[in-house]
Amino acid sequence: MSSTACRLYRNTTLGNRLQEILLQFDKAINSALAQRVRNRVNFRGSLNMYRFPDNVWTFVLNNVEFREVTELTKVDKVKTVACNSKNTGSITTE
Amino acid sequence: MDQNNSLPPYAQGLASPQGAMTPGIPIFSPMMPYGTGLTPQPIQNTSSLSILEEQQRQQQQQQQQQQQQQQQQQQQQQQAAQQSTSQQAAQVASGQAPQIFHSQTLTTAPLPGTTPLYPSPVTPMTPITPATPASESSGIVPQLQNIVSTVNLGCKLDLKTIALRARNAEYNPKRFAAVIMRIREPRTTALIFSSGKMVCTGAKSEEQSRLAARKYARVVQKLGFPAKFLDFKIQNMVGSCDVKFPIRLEGLVLTHQQFSSYEPELFPGLIYRMIKPRIVLLIFVSGKVVLTGAKVRAEIYEAFENIYPILKGFRKTT
Repeated sequence: MSSTACRLYRNTTLGNRLQEILLQFDKAINSALAQRVRNRVNFRGSLNMYRFPDNVWTFVLNNVEFREVTELTKVDKVKTVACNSKNTGSITTE
Repeated sequence: MDQNNSLPPYAQGLASPQGAMTPGIPIFSPMMPYGTGLTPQPIQNTSSLSILEEQQRQQQQQQQQQQQQQQQQQQQQQQAAQQSTSQQAAQVASGQAPQIFHSQTLTTAPLPGTTPLYPSPVTPMTPITPATPASESSGIVPQLQNIVSTVNLGCKLDLKTIALRARNAEYNPKRFAAVIMRIREPRTTALIFSSGKMVCTGAKSEEQSRLAARKYARVVQKLGFPAKFLDFKIQNMVGSCDVKFPIRLEGLVLTHQQFSSYEPELFPGLIYRMIKPRIVLLIFVSGKVVLTGAKVRAEIYEAFENIYPILKGFRKTT
């Protein structure tokens, strides 16, 4: 959706401030995931699809079980996009 | 009449065709057909059926003897880097292995419908072309485990596009300059290079390998490249089987040292490099055999039929 809309108005006072805030958001989220998240989750499912161009892994798993020490969550479909970072973190989207 | 009685018994019936015209001179013309009894023959049953049966029995017995001789010959031959032309000569005049030479009469089969009164003269034992000894076949068929094949898709490929858009594809140019793609049916892996050449591995049969290679070509085609299917060739076939008895590898490496190498500290299997067909066999103490290096299925089967009698000779008896 954002690709079809006009980006001309990003270079305005409001737009510039908002872009600065987005950068701050990136930094904040990265440091929070690195420092403040300590729990470990295991997940297991059947691999439907995988892809690995440009050092970015994309997985599509089916019938996935997310297992944490405390609880268990079952999901039909999970798409995972992962790339290398200094602390080998990952980003998961549904 | 008196002169007829003086004739030898086998000529009596021939000497007087018609009683009235008998001049009393025995008719021994040179026009007599050969083999009608002029040469002395051992007395045999002259009924046609039994002659046929006897000749067939003689031929079967001879074939069995030749098979036994062949088996002994095979062991000697493989030590002496097989020579098939000398086999026939060796059969007739060999003094190496203890062979039982039956001097049986080899008679050619008579034409059906004729009744030879006397069999043809005894001929020396002529070497019959060696038939495949059916009694020695192992009854074990090696199973194909892996087939590697190559094909040329005939056009340059952009590996980044393929890795980005295709499913089940990996591309890490820093590690390896090809896209690694996998399909589930037949379960195979392909290495696709930017030149358009492709290697397909993991199939269990020649047809599956070809089918898988075609599927990969179709994937590449659907991504927008003008892929063709040129020069499909099977490069290597791997088979394995089990002889079901333990094997004395040290004995085998002693007698077949020109073909085998066995370093138990390096690798637990004996590596046997057969010359004909050019196949490498990995032979293990348990009796499992892996055969590799074949370009066609028949080479795997032939190599196993060659090695099986040798392995039987080195069976562990404890």
